[in-house]
Amino acid sequence: MNFKSFIKDKLYQIGLILFGLTTIEIFLLAYPFGTFIKIYIPLIVLCLYLISIIIEYICKRHYYKNVYGILEELQEKYLITEIMSKPNFLDGKILKDIIEQLNKSMLENVNKYKYMIEDYKEYIEMWIHEIKIPIATSKMIVENNKTKATKSIDEELDKVENYIEQALYYARSNIVEKDYYIRKCSLKDIVNEVILKNKSVLIGEKIIINTYDLETQVSTDNKWIVFILNQIIQNSIKYRKMNEQAEIDIYSTSGKENGILHIKDNGIGIKKEDITRVFEKGFTGINGRMSNKKSTGIGLYLCKKLCDKLGIGIELNSIQNEGTEVKLVFPNSSYIDMT
Amino acid sequence: MPKILIVEDDEKLRNELDIFLNNHGYTAISLKKFNNTIQDILNINPNLILLDINLPGADGEYICKEIRKQSNVPIIIVTSRDDEVDELLSINYGADHYITKPFNIQILLAKIASILRRSNMGYSQDKIVTENFIINLSNSTIIKEDKEIELTKNELKILKYLNEKRNKIVSREDIMDYLWESESFIDDNTLSVNIARLRNKLGELGLKELIETKRGQGYILK
Repeated sequence: MNFKSFIKDKLYQIGLILFGLTTIEIFLLAYPFGTFIKIYIPLIVLCLYLISIIIEYICKRHYYKNVYGILEELQEKYLITEIMSKPNFLDGKILKDIIEQLNKSMLENVNKYKYMIEDYKEYIEMWIHEIKIPIATSKMIVENNKTKATKSIDEELDKVENYIEQALYYARSNIVEKDYYIRKCSLKDIVNEVILKNKSVLIGEKIIINTYDLETQVSTDNKWIVFILNQIIQNSIKYRKMNEQAEIDIYSTSGKENGILHIKDNGIGIKKEDITRVFEKGFTGINGRMSNKKSTGIGLYLCKKLCDKLGIGIELNSIQNEGTEVKLVFPNSSYIDMT
Repeated sequence: MPKILIVEDDEKLRNELDIFLNNHGYTAISLKKFNNTIQDILNINPNLILLDINLPGADGEYICKEIRKQSNVPIIIVTSRDDEVDELLSINYGADHYITKPFNIQILLAKIASILRRSNMGYSQDKIVTENFIINLSNSTIIKEDKEIELTKNELKILKYLNEKRNKIVSREDIMDYLWESESFIDDNTLSVNIARLRNKLGELGLKELIETKRGQGYILK
């Protein structure tokens, strides 16, 4: 609110006053009043009017400046109604009342959707726990009846399990609240767990796994990282070269401020143009469009999202036809050590 | 044989677990009714309990707490919930371990074995005595009469596995599976090398013909 726009707003009032004063002046001139009165009356009216609009200007400017200031500092701007002071002029009061009512109705609306999402997430989590029982049973049946056919079913069950995990973490990744638990984890245990998860495929497809230098301890959520690593390794398995011995190297290096887990394969790699987009939701690229891959474009997107939440860096380098390397960078932050 | 009690309300899963544990050297007993769970468990007096959390009637956490008041029997909680909070809570209720469905069966076996060992119920073998040689697990050697030959970690595991399945054909995949479960992620070639070395070492003891190759099927320890 600057003075110019304020005056512009008052232009009609000023016009009317001036018109009034002119008519008064004409009257005054028509009668034999003293010169003093002829000058004093219009001048005093004009002055008082000017003073009144200047006071109004100062008062409003102060208030709105204050409100805009708060608005700028606020991260969640809709909270303005909680902080803004009560104005002492009428249109300000009306405005504040309108904003408050608007805000309330908007919040109710937003909350409705919040509850809907929360409700849906709860349902998904419950459903996932339910579906795990028949999967566990099926796996036990396979274990008790090992044949070629059941082994093949076991591989498919692993896939089902993975899709279910994906759904669970997708639901979790969209909720603001924190449902992870950070503590010291051994990279070796995490890597071993993920390899064992994929054991049937890895042995069945004769993929060589080399693990070394995994003594590093990192501070993170064990389950989330197992999920993330599982997605990465499954990509390595999925996009291996069919005409060559597939190999996956998993090792860690540690720097001063972080520990890095490397997952390196000798697969088909990713085309240069596609690399920057691999973490986008639904992005499948040229590799994903190949007939037998059935890429959903969800795996790496979720990895990135979960990594961001956990404060872990994720990097992907790849050379087409040579292989892909994914790095997970775990910061050694001191405040995490304290937990 | 250690007695393991399965407290699980899903009938099919319960039966399969029962078969599986019986196949692996335990006596499995399962609870089929859940109206007097705590008393039933105490009456059976098992060496270890596999306890599901979601049970009809009293839930697993409550049962766990109640049993702890009267007994120190090891309890492994088996659940499909995978919250960290749930895990912490069950440890608080006195469970010894927590495993989520769908569980890795070998991990479950390993956990059972290690918990039983700790409570002195498992058989912690140092030596496996067979008809023509002795495997000494504590220092990784095979002994025949007064000859002793050292084995590497993988060779020892392979021999132990073949011995468990003595006189049966064991496929290469099964051997690899077994080794992977104990976190030796060896590949096909390494397996061949290990088998060849193991044969040579057995040869030094005059047992070269013991491991026979069944073309296209695997190996057999005679």
